[in-house]
Amino acid sequence: MVADTILFAGLGVSLSLLLSVLGAALGISISAPAIAGAGTERPETVSRNLIATILAEALAIYGLVVGLLSLFAITPTLSPDGAFRIFSGGLTMGVAALGAGLGIGTSGAALASATAEKPELFSRTVVPLILSEALAIYALVVSLLLVLAAK
Amino acid sequence: MISDTLVHLLRDNYLEAKIRGKKSFLLQRQQLLSLAEIPTLSDIVAALADGPYGSELSKLQEVSSAVETERAIQRGFASSVNNLVSGSKGNVRQFLLEYVRRFDAYDLATLVMFKSQGKTWEEFSTARQPLGGVREGQLRRLYMMDDLRESVRIIGDKTLEERTGDIDLEEMPPEKAALVRDIFTGWGEERFYNYVVKRLHGRDRSSCLPIVGATVDLLNLSIVLRSKLIGVSNIEEHLVPVHWRLDKQSIGRLLATTDLDETLEKAGSLTQYSRLMANARQRHEETKSLAFLEMDVKRYLVGQARRIFLGFPYTIGVVLAFLIFKENEARGLAAVISGVASGLKPDQVKALITV
Repeated sequence: MVADTILFAGLGVSLSLLLSVLGAALGISISAPAIAGAGTERPETVSRNLIATILAEALAIYGLVVGLLSLFAITPTLSPDGAFRIFSGGLTMGVAALGAGLGIGTSGAALASATAEKPELFSRTVVPLILSEALAIYALVVSLLLVLAAK
Repeated sequence: MISDTLVHLLRDNYLEAKIRGKKSFLLQRQQLLSLAEIPTLSDIVAALADGPYGSELSKLQEVSSAVETERAIQRGFASSVNNLVSGSKGNVRQFLLEYVRRFDAYDLATLVMFKSQGKTWEEFSTARQPLGGVREGQLRRLYMMDDLRESVRIIGDKTLEERTGDIDLEEMPPEKAALVRDIFTGWGEERFYNYVVKRLHGRDRSSCLPIVGATVDLLNLSIVLRSKLIGVSNIEEHLVPVHWRLDKQSIGRLLATTDLDETLEKAGSLTQYSRLMANARQRHEETKSLAFLEMDVKRYLVGQARRIFLGFPYTIGVVLAFLIFKENEARGLAAVISGVASGLKPDQVKALITV
Protein backbone atom coordinates (compact mmCIF):
# COMPACT_ATOMS: atom_id res chain seq x y z
CA MET A 1 0.00 0.00 0.00
CA VAL A 2 2.84 2.41 0.96
CA ALA A 3 4.65 1.51 -2.23
CA ASP A 4 1.47 2.20 -4.26
CA THR A 5 0.95 5.64 -2.73
CA ILE A 6 4.60 6.59 -3.26
CA LEU A 7 4.45 5.34 -6.83
CA PHE A 8 1.28 7.33 -7.47
CA ALA A 9 2.73 10.50 -5.92
CA GLY A 10 6.00 9.98 -7.79
CA LEU A 11 4.07 9.77 -11.03
CA GLY A 12 2.54 13.15 -10.19
CA VAL A 13 6.02 14.63 -9.66
CA SER A 14 7.20 13.20 -13.00
CA LEU A 15 4.14 14.43 -14.89
CA SER A 16 4.50 17.91 -13.45
CA LEU A 17 8.09 18.23 -14.52
CA LEU A 18 7.91 16.31 -17.80
CA LEU A 19 4.83 18.03 -19.21
CA SER A 20 6.00 21.46 -18.02
CA VAL A 21 9.35 20.96 -19.71
CA LEU A 22 7.55 19.85 -22.90
CA GLY A 23 5.36 22.96 -22.72
CA ALA A 24 8.39 25.17 -22.25
CA ALA A 25 10.23 23.46 -25.11
CA LEU A 26 7.20 23.87 -27.37
CA GLY A 27 6.90 27.55 -26.50
CA ILE A 28 10.58 28.21 -27.09
CA SER A 29 10.85 26.14 -30.26
CA ILE A 30 7.90 27.93 -31.89
CA SER A 31 8.71 31.49 -30.81
CA ALA A 32 12.52 31.54 -30.93
CA PRO A 33 12.94 31.01 -34.72
CA ALA A 34 10.43 33.82 -35.33
CA ILE A 35 12.33 36.11 -32.96
CA ALA A 36 15.57 35.27 -34.76
CA GLY A 37 13.95 35.86 -38.18
CA ALA A 38 12.56 39.21 -37.06
CA GLY A 39 15.96 40.05 -35.61
CA THR A 40 17.71 39.60 -38.94
CA GLU A 41 15.62 42.47 -40.33
CA ARG A 42 15.06 44.53 -37.17
CA PRO A 43 17.79 43.73 -34.60
CA GLU A 44 16.33 46.26 -32.15
CA THR A 45 13.25 44.06 -31.61
CA VAL A 46 15.14 40.98 -30.40
CA SER A 47 15.65 41.99 -26.76
CA ARG A 48 11.99 42.92 -26.29
CA ASN A 49 10.70 39.86 -28.15
CA LEU A 50 12.79 37.57 -25.97
CA ILE A 51 10.02 37.94 -23.39
CA ALA A 52 8.28 35.08 -25.21
CA THR A 53 11.14 32.64 -24.59
CA ILE A 54 11.56 33.84 -21.00
CA LEU A 55 7.86 33.29 -20.29
CA ALA A 56 8.07 29.86 -21.94
CA GLU A 57 11.07 28.99 -19.78
CA ALA A 58 9.09 30.05 -16.68
CA LEU A 59 6.67 27.19 -17.39
CA ALA A 60 9.42 24.67 -16.72
CA ILE A 61 10.22 26.51 -13.47
CA TYR A 62 6.57 26.25 -12.37
CA GLY A 63 6.71 22.51 -13.05
CA LEU A 64 9.98 22.28 -11.12
CA VAL A 65 8.51 24.14 -8.12
CA VAL A 66 5.43 21.90 -7.99
CA GLY A 67 7.63 18.83 -8.53
CA LEU A 68 10.07 19.73 -5.73
CA LEU A 69 7.32 20.60 -3.24
CA SER A 70 5.61 17.34 -4.14
CA LEU A 71 8.86 15.49 -3.63
CA PHE A 72 9.28 16.97 -0.14
CA ALA A 73 5.72 15.91 0.68
CA ILE A 74 6.36 12.27 -0.18
CA THR A 75 7.10 10.48 3.08
CA PRO A 76 6.64 6.83 4.16
CA THR A 77 3.52 7.94 6.07
CA LEU A 78 1.87 9.53 3.01
CA SER A 79 -1.83 8.67 2.88
CA PRO A 80 -3.55 7.47 -0.34
CA ASP A 81 -5.53 10.73 -0.23
CA GLY A 82 -2.31 12.76 -0.07
CA ALA A 83 -0.78 10.74 -2.92
CA PHE A 84 -3.83 11.46 -5.08
CA ARG A 85 -3.53 15.18 -4.29
CA ILE A 86 0.13 15.15 -5.36
CA PHE A 87 -0.74 13.24 -8.53
CA SER A 88 -3.58 15.66 -9.36
CA GLY A 89 -1.38 18.67 -8.62
CA GLY A 90 1.36 17.37 -10.91
CA LEU A 91 -1.06 16.52 -13.70
CA THR A 92 -2.80 19.90 -13.44
CA MET A 93 0.48 21.79 -13.61
CA GLY A 94 1.90 19.66 -16.42
CA VAL A 95 -1.10 19.74 -18.74
CA ALA A 96 -1.69 23.45 -18.14
CA ALA A 97 1.98 24.19 -18.87
CA LEU A 98 1.75 22.19 -22.10
CA GLY A 99 -1.27 24.25 -23.23
CA ALA A 100 0.29 27.50 -22.10
CA GLY A 101 3.49 26.56 -23.97
CA LEU A 102 1.56 26.19 -27.21
CA GLY A 103 -0.17 29.51 -26.57
CA ILE A 104 3.08 31.29 -25.74
CA GLY A 105 4.83 29.76 -28.77
CA THR A 106 2.21 30.79 -31.31
CA SER A 107 1.48 34.20 -29.82
CA GLY A 108 5.22 34.80 -29.32
CA ALA A 109 5.88 33.98 -32.97
CA ALA A 110 3.04 36.26 -34.01
CA LEU A 111 4.45 38.99 -31.74
CA ALA A 112 7.85 38.66 -33.40
CA SER A 113 6.31 38.80 -36.90
CA ALA A 114 4.10 41.74 -36.04
CA THR A 115 6.89 43.78 -34.46
CA ALA A 116 9.20 42.97 -37.37
CA GLU A 117 6.68 44.75 -39.58
CA LYS A 118 5.48 47.40 -37.11
CA PRO A 119 7.62 47.70 -33.93
CA GLU A 120 5.11 50.09 -32.38
CA LEU A 121 2.63 47.19 -32.05
CA PHE A 122 4.67 45.54 -29.26
CA SER A 123 2.70 46.87 -26.29
CA ARG A 124 -0.58 45.57 -27.74
CA THR A 125 0.59 42.29 -29.26
CA VAL A 126 2.33 41.26 -26.03
CA VAL A 127 -1.05 40.97 -24.26
CA PRO A 128 -1.99 37.49 -25.65
CA LEU A 129 1.45 36.29 -24.59
CA ILE A 130 0.88 37.42 -21.00
CA LEU A 131 -2.62 35.95 -20.99
CA SER A 132 -1.19 32.60 -22.14
CA GLU A 133 1.28 32.72 -19.26
CA ALA A 134 -1.61 33.49 -16.87
CA LEU A 135 -3.16 30.13 -17.81
CA ALA A 136 -0.16 28.36 -16.34
CA ILE A 137 -0.20 30.60 -13.24
CA TYR A 138 -3.81 29.57 -12.51
CA ALA A 139 -2.71 25.94 -12.67
CA LEU A 140 0.33 26.70 -10.50
CA VAL A 141 -1.88 28.15 -7.75
CA VAL A 142 -4.24 25.16 -7.77
CA SER A 143 -1.34 22.68 -7.92
CA LEU A 144 0.40 24.33 -4.98
CA LEU A 145 -2.80 24.22 -2.92
CA LEU A 146 -3.20 20.53 -3.75
CA VAL A 147 0.41 19.66 -2.98
CA LEU A 148 0.54 21.67 0.25
CA ALA A 149 -2.67 19.99 1.42
CA ALA A 150 -1.13 16.59 0.79
CA LYS A 151 1.06 16.63 3.93
CA MET B 1 -4.95 21.41 -43.81
CA ILE B 2 -4.25 21.54 -40.05
CA SER B 3 -1.01 19.64 -40.57
CA ASP B 4 0.08 22.19 -43.22
CA THR B 5 -0.62 25.02 -40.78
CA LEU B 6 1.31 23.25 -38.03
CA VAL B 7 4.25 22.70 -40.37
CA HIS B 8 4.29 26.43 -41.22
CA LEU B 9 3.94 27.30 -37.56
CA LEU B 10 6.80 25.08 -36.44
CA ARG B 11 9.11 25.22 -39.44
CA ASP B 12 8.51 28.45 -41.33
CA ASN B 13 8.33 30.86 -38.38
CA TYR B 14 11.78 32.19 -39.10
CA LEU B 15 10.95 33.01 -42.71
CA GLU B 16 7.52 34.39 -41.88
CA ALA B 17 9.01 36.90 -39.41
CA LYS B 18 11.80 37.73 -41.85
CA ILE B 19 9.28 38.47 -44.59
CA ARG B 20 7.24 40.72 -42.28
CA GLY B 21 10.45 42.57 -41.46
CA LYS B 22 11.42 42.93 -45.09
CA LYS B 23 7.90 44.08 -45.94
CA SER B 24 8.23 46.95 -43.49
CA PHE B 25 11.21 48.25 -45.46
CA LEU B 26 9.40 48.21 -48.82
CA LEU B 27 9.07 51.64 -50.35
CA GLN B 28 5.57 53.01 -50.18
CA ARG B 29 3.95 54.58 -53.23
CA GLN B 30 4.40 58.03 -51.71
CA GLN B 31 8.13 57.42 -51.27
CA LEU B 32 8.46 56.32 -54.91
CA LEU B 33 6.57 59.44 -56.00
CA SER B 34 8.91 61.57 -53.89
CA LEU B 35 11.91 59.92 -55.58
CA ALA B 36 10.43 60.94 -58.93
CA GLU B 37 10.72 64.58 -57.80
CA ILE B 38 14.49 64.27 -57.25
CA PRO B 39 16.27 65.86 -60.21
CA THR B 40 19.48 63.82 -60.42
CA LEU B 41 20.41 60.18 -60.37
CA SER B 42 23.12 60.63 -57.73
CA ASP B 43 20.60 62.21 -55.34
CA ILE B 44 18.24 59.24 -55.87
CA VAL B 45 21.09 56.85 -55.10
CA ALA B 46 21.91 58.85 -51.97
CA ALA B 47 18.25 58.74 -50.88
CA LEU B 48 18.23 54.94 -51.24
CA ALA B 49 21.57 54.42 -49.50
CA ASP B 50 20.09 53.50 -46.10
CA GLY B 51 17.48 51.09 -47.47
CA PRO B 52 17.60 47.46 -48.62
CA TYR B 53 19.25 48.46 -51.92
CA GLY B 54 22.01 50.41 -50.14
CA SER B 55 24.45 47.52 -50.18
CA GLU B 56 24.27 47.06 -53.97
CA LEU B 57 24.10 50.81 -54.69
CA SER B 58 27.21 51.41 -52.57
CA LYS B 59 29.19 49.25 -55.02
CA LEU B 60 28.49 51.75 -57.81
CA GLN B 61 31.14 54.21 -58.78
CA GLU B 62 30.58 57.90 -58.05
CA VAL B 63 29.37 58.65 -61.56
CA SER B 64 27.28 55.71 -62.67
CA SER B 65 24.93 55.43 -65.60
CA ALA B 66 21.20 54.80 -65.29
CA VAL B 67 21.70 51.28 -66.66
CA GLU B 68 24.30 50.47 -63.97
CA THR B 69 22.02 51.88 -61.27
CA GLU B 70 19.02 49.90 -62.55
CA ARG B 71 21.23 46.83 -62.57
CA ALA B 72 22.18 47.49 -58.93
CA ILE B 73 18.46 47.67 -58.08
CA GLN B 74 17.88 44.33 -59.84
CA ARG B 75 20.80 42.82 -57.92
CA GLY B 76 19.25 44.16 -54.70
CA PHE B 77 16.00 42.40 -55.58
CA ALA B 78 17.89 39.20 -56.41
CA SER B 79 19.80 39.36 -53.14
CA SER B 80 16.53 39.72 -51.18
CA VAL B 81 15.10 36.64 -52.91
CA ASN B 82 18.32 34.66 -52.38
CA ASN B 83 18.29 35.69 -48.74
CA LEU B 84 14.80 34.21 -48.41
CA VAL B 85 15.87 31.03 -50.20
CA SER B 86 18.77 30.56 -47.79
CA GLY B 87 16.47 31.06 -44.79
CA SER B 88 13.81 28.61 -45.97
CA LYS B 89 13.29 24.88 -45.61
CA GLY B 90 11.13 22.10 -47.04
CA ASN B 91 8.41 22.94 -49.51
CA VAL B 92 8.79 26.71 -48.99
CA ARG B 93 12.38 26.41 -50.21
CA GLN B 94 11.25 24.33 -53.18
CA PHE B 95 8.55 26.90 -53.89
CA LEU B 96 11.11 29.72 -53.88
CA LEU B 97 13.41 27.76 -56.19
CA GLU B 98 10.50 27.24 -58.60
CA TYR B 99 9.75 30.96 -58.38
CA VAL B 100 13.38 31.73 -59.28
CA ARG B 101 13.24 29.24 -62.18
CA ARG B 102 10.68 31.48 -63.86
CA PHE B 103 13.45 33.97 -64.52
CA ASP B 104 15.11 31.57 -66.96
CA ALA B 105 12.11 32.12 -69.22
CA TYR B 106 12.50 35.90 -68.84
CA ASP B 107 16.19 35.62 -69.72
CA LEU B 108 15.45 33.47 -72.75
CA ALA B 109 12.75 35.88 -73.93
CA THR B 110 15.14 38.83 -73.55
CA LEU B 111 17.91 36.92 -75.32
CA VAL B 112 15.70 36.12 -78.31
CA MET B 113 14.35 39.66 -78.53
CA PHE B 114 17.71 41.42 -78.17
CA LYS B 115 19.44 39.05 -80.55
CA SER B 116 16.77 39.41 -83.20
CA GLN B 117 16.94 43.19 -82.86
CA GLY B 118 20.72 43.10 -83.38
CA LYS B 119 21.62 44.36 -79.91
CA THR B 120 25.02 43.66 -78.40
CA TRP B 121 25.92 41.20 -75.65
CA GLU B 122 26.66 44.15 -73.32
CA GLU B 123 23.16 45.51 -73.84
CA PHE B 124 21.69 42.08 -73.14
CA SER B 125 23.81 41.43 -70.07
CA THR B 126 22.61 44.66 -68.47
CA ALA B 127 18.97 43.86 -69.22
CA ARG B 128 18.95 40.24 -68.05
CA GLN B 129 17.59 39.17 -64.68
CA PRO B 130 20.30 38.55 -62.06
CA LEU B 131 18.04 35.85 -60.62
CA GLY B 132 18.16 33.71 -63.75
CA GLY B 133 19.60 30.25 -63.18
CA VAL B 134 21.64 30.11 -66.41
CA ARG B 135 25.24 31.15 -65.78
CA GLU B 136 26.53 34.28 -67.46
CA GLY B 137 29.26 32.35 -69.30
CA GLN B 138 26.73 29.99 -70.84
CA LEU B 139 24.41 32.86 -71.75
CA ARG B 140 27.32 34.60 -73.45
CA ARG B 141 28.09 31.50 -75.51
CA LEU B 142 24.43 31.23 -76.46
CA TYR B 143 24.29 34.89 -77.38
CA MET B 144 27.27 34.50 -79.69
CA MET B 145 25.60 31.64 -81.55
CA ASP B 146 23.78 32.50 -84.77
CA ASP B 147 21.04 29.92 -84.41
CA LEU B 148 18.40 31.23 -81.98
CA ARG B 149 16.58 27.91 -82.08
CA GLU B 150 19.65 26.26 -80.56
CA SER B 151 19.42 28.66 -77.59
CA VAL B 152 15.74 27.80 -77.17
CA ARG B 153 16.65 24.11 -77.28
CA ILE B 154 19.39 24.49 -74.62
CA ILE B 155 17.61 26.72 -72.10
CA GLY B 156 14.06 25.63 -72.86
CA ASP B 157 12.55 22.20 -73.28
CA LYS B 158 10.64 20.21 -75.88
CA THR B 159 7.37 21.97 -74.96
CA LEU B 160 8.82 25.40 -75.64
CA GLU B 161 10.54 24.20 -78.81
CA GLU B 162 7.24 22.93 -80.19
CA ARG B 163 5.36 26.03 -79.07
CA THR B 164 7.75 28.39 -80.80
CA GLY B 165 8.68 26.12 -83.70
CA ASP B 166 6.83 28.02 -86.43
CA ILE B 167 7.69 31.53 -85.23
CA ASP B 168 10.29 33.41 -87.24
CA LEU B 169 12.67 34.49 -84.48
CA GLU B 170 15.05 36.35 -86.78
CA GLU B 171 12.80 39.25 -87.70
CA MET B 172 11.09 41.04 -84.86
CA PRO B 173 9.28 44.37 -85.09
CA PRO B 174 8.33 45.73 -81.62
CA GLU B 175 4.73 44.42 -81.54
CA LYS B 176 5.82 40.96 -82.59
CA ALA B 177 8.66 41.06 -80.05
CA ALA B 178 6.15 41.72 -77.27
CA LEU B 179 4.05 38.77 -78.47
CA VAL B 180 7.06 36.44 -78.61
CA ARG B 181 8.17 37.66 -75.16
CA ASP B 182 4.73 36.73 -73.76
CA ILE B 183 4.91 33.29 -75.36
CA PHE B 184 8.33 32.63 -73.79
CA THR B 185 7.41 33.98 -70.37
CA GLY B 186 4.15 32.01 -70.62
CA TRP B 187 6.26 28.86 -70.76
CA GLY B 188 8.00 29.83 -67.48
CA GLU B 189 4.73 30.77 -65.81
CA GLU B 190 3.16 27.49 -66.96
CA ARG B 191 5.87 25.49 -65.15
CA PHE B 192 5.32 27.55 -62.01
CA TYR B 193 1.54 27.15 -62.24
CA ASN B 194 1.89 23.39 -62.68
CA TYR B 195 4.14 23.24 -59.64
CA VAL B 196 1.58 25.13 -57.53
CA VAL B 197 -1.36 23.02 -58.73
CA LYS B 198 0.36 19.64 -58.51
CA ARG B 199 2.67 19.99 -55.52
CA LEU B 200 0.93 22.37 -53.15
CA HIS B 201 -2.18 21.51 -51.17
CA GLY B 202 -4.93 23.12 -49.15
CA ARG B 203 -4.41 26.71 -48.09
CA ASP B 204 -0.95 26.86 -49.67
CA ARG B 205 -2.42 26.20 -53.10
CA SER B 206 -5.53 28.32 -52.70
CA SER B 207 -3.51 31.29 -51.44
CA CYS B 208 -1.08 31.16 -54.39
CA LEU B 209 -3.60 30.61 -57.18
CA PRO B 210 -5.03 34.15 -57.27
CA ILE B 211 -1.56 35.31 -58.35
CA VAL B 212 -0.11 32.32 -60.21
CA GLY B 213 -3.40 31.42 -61.92
CA ALA B 214 -4.21 35.01 -62.85
CA THR B 215 -0.69 35.44 -64.29
CA VAL B 216 -1.23 32.51 -66.66
CA ASP B 217 -4.74 33.69 -67.60
CA LEU B 218 -3.64 37.24 -68.25
CA LEU B 219 -0.65 36.10 -70.29
CA ASN B 220 -3.02 34.13 -72.49
CA LEU B 221 -5.25 37.17 -72.77
CA SER B 222 -2.24 39.30 -73.66
CA ILE B 223 -1.07 36.78 -76.30
CA VAL B 224 -4.52 36.78 -77.90
CA LEU B 225 -4.72 40.60 -77.91
CA ARG B 226 -1.22 41.04 -79.32
CA SER B 227 -1.87 38.45 -82.01
CA LYS B 228 -4.98 40.40 -83.02
CA LEU B 229 -2.96 43.63 -83.03
CA ILE B 230 -0.47 42.32 -85.56
CA GLY B 231 -2.96 40.13 -87.39
CA VAL B 232 -1.50 36.72 -86.57
CA SER B 233 -3.95 33.85 -86.95
CA ASN B 234 -3.63 30.33 -85.51
CA ILE B 235 -2.31 31.59 -82.20
CA GLU B 236 -3.97 28.74 -80.22
CA GLU B 237 -0.91 26.52 -80.25
CA HIS B 238 1.21 29.34 -78.79
CA LEU B 239 -1.07 29.90 -75.82
CA VAL B 240 -0.17 28.64 -72.38
CA PRO B 241 -2.02 25.28 -72.33
CA VAL B 242 -3.19 25.66 -68.72
CA HIS B 243 -5.83 27.99 -67.40
CA TRP B 244 -7.23 29.05 -64.06
CA ARG B 245 -10.39 31.11 -64.40
CA LEU B 246 -10.11 32.06 -68.06
CA ASP B 247 -11.28 28.76 -69.51
CA LYS B 248 -10.98 27.43 -73.05
CA GLN B 249 -14.48 28.60 -73.95
CA SER B 250 -13.75 32.19 -72.99
CA ILE B 251 -10.48 32.14 -74.91
CA GLY B 252 -12.29 30.54 -77.85
CA ARG B 253 -14.78 33.44 -77.91
CA LEU B 254 -11.89 35.92 -77.95
CA LEU B 255 -10.12 34.03 -80.73
CA ALA B 256 -13.29 34.00 -82.83
CA THR B 257 -13.31 37.79 -83.13
CA THR B 258 -12.22 39.46 -86.33
CA ASP B 259 -10.22 42.44 -85.09
CA LEU B 260 -8.58 43.91 -81.99
CA ASP B 261 -11.42 46.30 -81.16
CA GLU B 262 -13.92 43.46 -81.12
CA THR B 263 -11.55 41.35 -79.00
CA LEU B 264 -11.12 44.19 -76.50
CA GLU B 265 -14.89 44.62 -76.42
CA LYS B 266 -15.35 40.92 -75.69
CA ALA B 267 -12.51 40.96 -73.13
CA GLY B 268 -14.30 43.80 -71.33
CA SER B 269 -17.34 41.58 -70.88
CA LEU B 270 -15.35 38.66 -69.44
CA THR B 271 -16.82 37.89 -66.03
CA GLN B 272 -13.47 36.57 -64.75
CA TYR B 273 -11.51 39.78 -65.24
CA SER B 274 -14.31 42.27 -65.83
CA ARG B 275 -12.87 45.03 -63.63
CA LEU B 276 -9.42 44.70 -65.14
CA MET B 277 -10.60 44.77 -68.75
CA ALA B 278 -13.65 47.03 -68.39
CA ASN B 279 -12.15 50.07 -70.14
CA ALA B 280 -9.61 48.20 -72.26
CA ARG B 281 -11.06 49.27 -75.62
CA GLN B 282 -11.29 52.90 -74.63
CA ARG B 283 -7.75 52.90 -73.27
CA HIS B 284 -6.45 51.28 -76.43
CA GLU B 285 -8.15 53.96 -78.49
CA GLU B 286 -6.58 56.67 -76.33
CA THR B 287 -3.05 55.27 -76.23
CA LYS B 288 -3.00 53.36 -79.56
CA SER B 289 -1.04 50.58 -77.88
CA LEU B 290 -1.45 47.65 -75.52
CA ALA B 291 1.20 48.92 -73.09
CA PHE B 292 -1.55 49.85 -70.61
CA LEU B 293 -2.32 46.14 -70.24
CA GLU B 294 1.06 45.37 -68.68
CA MET B 295 0.62 48.14 -66.09
CA ASP B 296 -2.93 47.03 -65.32
CA VAL B 297 -1.87 43.40 -64.88
CA LYS B 298 0.92 44.41 -62.47
CA ARG B 299 -1.55 46.57 -60.56
CA TYR B 300 -4.02 43.68 -60.43
CA LEU B 301 -1.38 41.28 -59.09
CA VAL B 302 -0.27 43.76 -56.43
CA GLY B 303 -3.93 44.06 -55.38
CA GLN B 304 -4.13 40.27 -55.07
CA ALA B 305 -0.89 40.23 -53.06
CA ARG B 306 -2.35 42.84 -50.69
CA ARG B 307 -5.41 40.64 -50.15
CA ILE B 308 -3.22 37.62 -49.39
CA PHE B 309 -1.33 39.61 -46.75
CA LEU B 310 -4.61 40.49 -45.07
CA GLY B 311 -5.66 36.82 -44.96
CA PHE B 312 -4.49 33.76 -43.05
CA PRO B 313 -0.77 34.23 -42.28
CA TYR B 314 0.54 30.66 -42.22
CA THR B 315 0.60 29.87 -45.94
CA ILE B 316 3.10 29.97 -48.80
CA GLY B 317 0.87 32.64 -50.35
CA VAL B 318 2.40 35.18 -47.95
CA VAL B 319 5.86 34.45 -49.41
CA LEU B 320 4.55 34.88 -52.95
CA ALA B 321 2.68 38.06 -52.02
CA PHE B 322 5.87 39.56 -50.61
CA LEU B 323 7.78 38.63 -53.78
CA ILE B 324 5.12 40.39 -55.87
CA PHE B 325 5.51 43.52 -53.71
CA LYS B 326 9.29 43.32 -53.98
CA GLU B 327 9.24 42.81 -57.76
CA ASN B 328 6.91 45.75 -58.05
CA GLU B 329 9.15 47.94 -55.90
CA ALA B 330 12.23 47.06 -57.96
CA ARG B 331 10.29 47.75 -61.17
CA GLY B 332 9.06 51.07 -59.81
CA LEU B 333 12.56 52.12 -58.78
CA ALA B 334 13.98 51.10 -62.15
CA ALA B 335 11.27 53.18 -63.85
CA VAL B 336 12.09 56.23 -61.69
CA ILE B 337 15.82 55.86 -62.36
CA SER B 338 15.45 55.51 -66.13
CA GLY B 339 12.86 58.31 -66.22
CA VAL B 340 14.97 60.78 -64.24
CA ALA B 341 18.13 59.82 -66.15
CA SER B 342 16.44 60.41 -69.48
CA GLY B 343 15.31 63.86 -68.36
CA LEU B 344 11.57 63.25 -68.04
CA LYS B 345 9.50 65.67 -65.98
CA PRO B 346 8.42 64.46 -62.49
CA ASP B 347 4.82 63.97 -63.65
CA GLN B 348 5.95 61.83 -66.57
CA VAL B 349 8.15 59.76 -64.25
CA LYS B 350 5.29 59.31 -61.79
CA ALA B 351 3.11 57.93 -64.59
CA LEU B 352 5.65 55.11 -65.03
CA ILE B 353 5.18 53.88 -61.46
CA THR B 354 2.72 50.99 -61.43
CA VAL B 355 1.32 51.11 -57.90
